[in-house]
Amino acid sequence: MNENLKNTLLNPIFKGNPITVLVLGICSALAVTVQLKGALVMALSVIVVTGLSSFVISLLRNSIPNRVRIIVQLVVVAMMVILVDQFLRAYAYAIDKQLSVYIGLIITNCIVMGRIEAFALGNKPFASLLDGLANGAGYGLILVIVAFFRELLGSGTLLGFRVLPESYIPNNLVILPPMALILLGCIVWVQRAIQKDLQED
Amino acid sequence: MDYISLFVKSIFVDNMIFAYFLGMCSYLAVSKNVKTANGLGIAVILVLLITLPVNYLLNKYVLQPGALSWVGESFADVNLSFLSYIVFIAVIAAIVQVVEMVVEKFLPTLYSSLGIYLPLIAVNCAILGGSLFMQQREFLNVGESAVYALGSGIGWYLAIVALAAIREKMAYSHVPKPLKGLGITFIVVGLMGVAFMSFMGISL
Amino acid sequence: MNTNSNVYTIVYTTLIVVVVAAVLAFAAMTLKPKQDANIKAETISQMLTAAGFSTKEDLAKLGNDKILEKYAEVINTAFLIDAEGNKIGELDTDLGSIELADNLKLQNSNIKSGKDVELPVYVFDKDGSDVIVIPVYGAGLWGPVWGYIAFDEHCDEIVGAYFDHEGETPGLGAKIKDEPWFREQFIGESINLNNPDNSFDIVKGGAPEGVSDDSMVDAITGATMTCKGLDAAIDTWFKAYMPFFQKKAAAAGDDCDEDCEEEGHDHHHNHDHNPEEA
Repeated sequence: MNENLKNTLLNPIFKGNPITVLVLGICSALAVTVQLKGALVMALSVIVVTGLSSFVISLLRNSIPNRVRIIVQLVVVAMMVILVDQFLRAYAYAIDKQLSVYIGLIITNCIVMGRIEAFALGNKPFASLLDGLANGAGYGLILVIVAFFRELLGSGTLLGFRVLPESYIPNNLVILPPMALILLGCIVWVQRAIQKDLQED
Repeated sequence: MDYISLFVKSIFVDNMIFAYFLGMCSYLAVSKNVKTANGLGIAVILVLLITLPVNYLLNKYVLQPGALSWVGESFADVNLSFLSYIVFIAVIAAIVQVVEMVVEKFLPTLYSSLGIYLPLIAVNCAILGGSLFMQQREFLNVGESAVYALGSGIGWYLAIVALAAIREKMAYSHVPKPLKGLGITFIVVGLMGVAFMSFMGISL
Repeated sequence: MNTNSNVYTIVYTTLIVVVVAAVLAFAAMTLKPKQDANIKAETISQMLTAAGFSTKEDLAKLGNDKILEKYAEVINTAFLIDAEGNKIGELDTDLGSIELADNLKLQNSNIKSGKDVELPVYVFDKDGSDVIVIPVYGAGLWGPVWGYIAFDEHCDEIVGAYFDHEGETPGLGAKIKDEPWFREQFIGESINLNNPDNSFDIVKGGAPEGVSDDSMVDAITGATMTCKGLDAAIDTWFKAYMPFFQKKAAAAGDDCDEDCEEEGHDHHHNHDHNPEEA
């Protein structure tokens, strides 16, 4: 059992990473990785939302009528996201203003729905909670890596602090969305060079 | 706005995939061959075409501030816009569920090849994104929102079929082993995105 | 229990919808006063920043209550005008009952559809002279963009600006707010009164070489859509305020007959380069 939980927790971080292996949640990965700060906060929000939604759906899993399961799942996810949004707007207005569009994008983040469909519907609440948290973390890891390179090369800063000398001319290409995809491609390249069993024929 | 220019604009200039990068998950996962890409693309066009006008009407007569004034004077100040995400997504999910049932019943082969990705259309960012853009752009009537939906859907369809065709050809290329499959697909889409950016300067 | 029966499905979905709607409505209502207070303080601090009384960062440290006090201290008068530039209403400026025009979105659609408008004008008192602040509002790439632009007392020179957005891309469109150089270039610019449809421009590279233009600033690289949206917002709103600006300019012209050489000179300068653009 313990071995199982450990697997649930560690597998999504690297071996079964939601972005680079399962190909889920790409849209927001592109939108929020221009700056490291946005990526960090987004990663945290996704961890919370995936964890909690998986938990709630897993609690309800035996009572949900199969024909309307997607609507029920989406309503639960959307409720969590709106609650988080409303709460931030009242108590952390500055952060919410910075994040509003990304908070909305969490609803359509395939990771949340993907994990609910693939895991939470068939597993106990606690395991689902861990699975959700771990997948959020795996997603966050990739976001942070991509954002690190994009902010460093695109603006010469990290978390807003200048790290490259003033003489560095920021590479505007890295800021454009297509570059995030190409960086993702490179990350997949590195990962699959290390982990040969993931390579496709 | 002129319907034709709105239509052309939403296919090429505001392409959902290459200009906004919306709906990437299913775009990457279901573009291995042209046949399934074709199926998913058509499903996206259909779902967009139904959901956008419905959401437009909901937004206009229920959600936006002051929208309920047609019910009576006392409702004029009601602002339900905090519910817009959930209403949009519920409408989308309901329509996707119907499409799923229809496809399962009449096209079982397509159903099995689309697998998990058909239910995931509901969380396809392109669909919700379409509704949110519609809300933000304040279209004048249902017709405009339908034209916009059709254009965006066709743009998405073109993008996924183009990628699927490239990927079918790529099967015969000598790609470094770790890059094969997903890695090179990311990079190809990135390059296609750079190419499509040339449309962004065009104003119709 | 048969979870696939029609009755069960309908009852279940109804129940879920009712529960979720109740939770959300409760959350929205209990949190609303706090959210409104935040929005009010935010709007005020944007205006104060545009008018040059303080900076956004300093105001954020003060907290909501202090920001309202500061506003009540420096505001002279605030009123609403119609499409002809006539005053049609007052906005309360007393501390404790501060009124702001919070319906920019509605006004924006009214301007576009030609309906009746109520446009706010805020007049601050800065070192003895008036600073006039007006809002602009429009659509960026992902959502609304808006801002406050401050003019001197005759509305012929911009003395400050502040822009904000709901969700433009960080590092690209978000620079309209984050990069001080962008809003600082508005200082010293003026409105092209002779071209009401396009009285101000945000163009890549700024004014072309050899053209001296006081109504043109540089756009942000990589944020084409956001800058286009902001440019359209400024043009639309300046057009709506045009009668008001023209009245102010006419009033300034009358004053100038008497004593102010320098402002008269400014006006000639405006006329000088206008033919080039027409």
